[in-house]
Amino acid sequence: MTEVSRAATEEHDFAALPAGPWPRAERRTVLPLRQWFLWFAVLLVVGAVMWTVRTRLDKAHVVLAFLLIVLGGSSAGGRALGVSLAGVAFLAFDWFFLPPYNTFVISDPLDWLVLIAFLVTGVVAAQLLEWRRQETELARQRADEIDRLATLGAETLNAPRAEDALGAIANVIRQAMGTEYCEIFLRDGSALRLAGHSPGERQASEQAGLLAYAVERAEAAAERSDGTLTLLGDALSSSRSLEAPPVLLADLLALGIPLRVRDRIVGALRLSSSRPFSVSDDQRRILGALAYYAALGAERVRLAGAEEEAESLRRADRLKDALLASVSHDLRTPLTAIKGIANEVWNGGDPHRAQIIEDEADRLNVLVGDLLELSQLNAGSLRVTTALNTVDEVVGAALERVEAAHGAGRIDVHIANEGDILVGQFDFAHTMRVLTNLLENALKYSPTDSPVTLRAWKDHGVVRFVVEDEGAGIQASDAGRIFEPFFRGSGIPDGTRGTGLGLSIARQLAEVQGGTLTYEARTGRGSRFMLALPAGVGPSVSS
Amino acid sequence: MANPAREPLVVDAILIIDDEPQIRRVVRNSLADIARRIAEASTAAEGVDLAAAEQPSLILLDLGLPDRDGLDVCRDLRTFTSVPIIVLSARHSDREKEKLLDSGADDYVTKPFSTLELKARVRAQLRRAAAGPSDARHKALITVDDLAIDLVGRTVQRAGVEVHLTPTEWNLLRAFIAHAGQTLTHSQLFAAVWGSAAGDAQQYLRVYVGQLRRKLEVDPVRPRLIRTEPAVGYRFDLGQ
Repeated sequence: MTEVSRAATEEHDFAALPAGPWPRAERRTVLPLRQWFLWFAVLLVVGAVMWTVRTRLDKAHVVLAFLLIVLGGSSAGGRALGVSLAGVAFLAFDWFFLPPYNTFVISDPLDWLVLIAFLVTGVVAAQLLEWRRQETELARQRADEIDRLATLGAETLNAPRAEDALGAIANVIRQAMGTEYCEIFLRDGSALRLAGHSPGERQASEQAGLLAYAVERAEAAAERSDGTLTLLGDALSSSRSLEAPPVLLADLLALGIPLRVRDRIVGALRLSSSRPFSVSDDQRRILGALAYYAALGAERVRLAGAEEEAESLRRADRLKDALLASVSHDLRTPLTAIKGIANEVWNGGDPHRAQIIEDEADRLNVLVGDLLELSQLNAGSLRVTTALNTVDEVVGAALERVEAAHGAGRIDVHIANEGDILVGQFDFAHTMRVLTNLLENALKYSPTDSPVTLRAWKDHGVVRFVVEDEGAGIQASDAGRIFEPFFRGSGIPDGTRGTGLGLSIARQLAEVQGGTLTYEARTGRGSRFMLALPAGVGPSVSS
Repeated sequence: MANPAREPLVVDAILIIDDEPQIRRVVRNSLADIARRIAEASTAAEGVDLAAAEQPSLILLDLGLPDRDGLDVCRDLRTFTSVPIIVLSARHSDREKEKLLDSGADDYVTKPFSTLELKARVRAQLRRAAAGPSDARHKALITVDDLAIDLVGRTVQRAGVEVHLTPTEWNLLRAFIAHAGQTLTHSQLFAAVWGSAAGDAQQYLRVYVGQLRRKLEVDPVRPRLIRTEPAVGYRFDLGQ
């Protein structure tokens, strides 16, 4: 039985695996032919030496010497060599050392006993040694297997992204099982979500319900080529005893295995081929262990997802804290002014002071809008509709807003429209907001007689917008923080009001459209903000 | 065109549908010199009834009504009246604005609004309604600044120099002129030029408008003729 099992292992055993990270065990180190030559030479030499002194030797000496050679040969070269040595030694003993010499005739009947005892001892010893050797070989193979699993485990659990590990595991399982395709699904509530698969095309032939069936029954299930589904019980469990009767896993189109970690089903595995396949006993055994790795990989993906979610909650929490701090200060300050002035006017004060109430209300309105937008951005609920837009139009819309509030004449606009009109693939409203914000900042934080420049051009698949001013710029120590919500630079002159949210919102608005917003100090004086958005391609023929 | 529009315009009735009494009060006070009577409704049902009973010259409709969705009310009103509808909304999403205009509203004012802005919007809508269908569309020759558009001869001249327009640009220009002074959403403009057939052209609409601007506008970044209504659409402005 051991013999059969070993042969099967050698035949299927990861034959298809890449040589790379899998240390292939060296088979027998010394060629058998050399062993045979060596041990027959030893037999010849020892026989010849004993023959020259045979008159002074007892039969027992010869038998013991030959027996030692047989034992040595069979331990070094295996059973076949041992038995052959025993046979040849038997004949040589009879021919050369039992009187009458040089015949196979045996005169003393007791010599028969010696001869037979020698032969039996030699053959039995060779057989015993062979069994021992096979056991060692099997143990070594098991150790190899464990080694491979350990390598697989380390490699897959080390993959930088948890999802990548699942793809790698799926591919290893596919190769080990010799099927065409392997997929790993994550359990998401009651649904299964494909999380990793081996490269190549998925086989469409398998039944859609196979995995759901396997997960629901918490047992591996197989789809046979006649379309029937069979439950496999504990056939794939690694705890199944080796003595249990072998399960026939042949003529399969697909195999569905629930993936378990600590008695909880975390996902499922599906092996499939377009042609029927079978799973040998040894493949079956290792499949249990491989499936456990897949289960650990699936669990890791789930944990990584939970960690991401926790991180986003932590971020939202930090924002909420900042928000509360801001609400208490930034919302209450204008409210205090409004309340005070309303009271003043009511009590006969200068009615023109009511203008301040309107200004403060406007400021509150801006802040409320910013807070709403920021919370939408953080919750990921802001809608983004990218479309083909012209740079002319979005810059024009931003200019109209900014110049309505700050007066016209200070902003120089240069749009590289030579040849084709400059177009980008972006969300109009969000981009207009970003540009408005940058232009307003530039006007606010630079002398009222200094120019502000806006340039836009196409550069390797992106549209670049650059807004430059000649103001005091941003202090180097603050430059890294200006995109944080509620951050206000230390060099901001008194009386310049802002919510501290503008740049944070602008950067996030740029990023949700697949763009970037960065800052650099201008050499000399002033600030430079750079917005990059995906470029677009206009109609090829202006019909 | 002669300019009766600049004379003070007073109408009989304006209807305000809003559930907030404070907002209704602000509207009543600020529109007192435009309308002789302000009808007030606090629910959608009441508002639709009043719109039928009072025959107002203009309707101000709040989107956040307690009983019904503002867009529905807007469509309802449009089944029996064609007077201008201005929507008041605190949810100032640009996408909503486009949806509103597509549902039959003529303009929108975002809360909080200044009374000056509200009055200006109301006057503009009343003037447009009084002028009837755009005068421009009945004219064969339109001149704005140094631009001369001859719709019959299909020629455009800028400062006496002929400007060549592609067929698409001509169709766009004609649609703009037909709806002069009116905000056209992107989808309305597309339907006016290409019909309802969806195709590649839709994604290029803004590019075609941009190309037209480069031919007609003195400064295409600061357009005076084809104005941008951010994220909503365009308004062709003949400077009326």
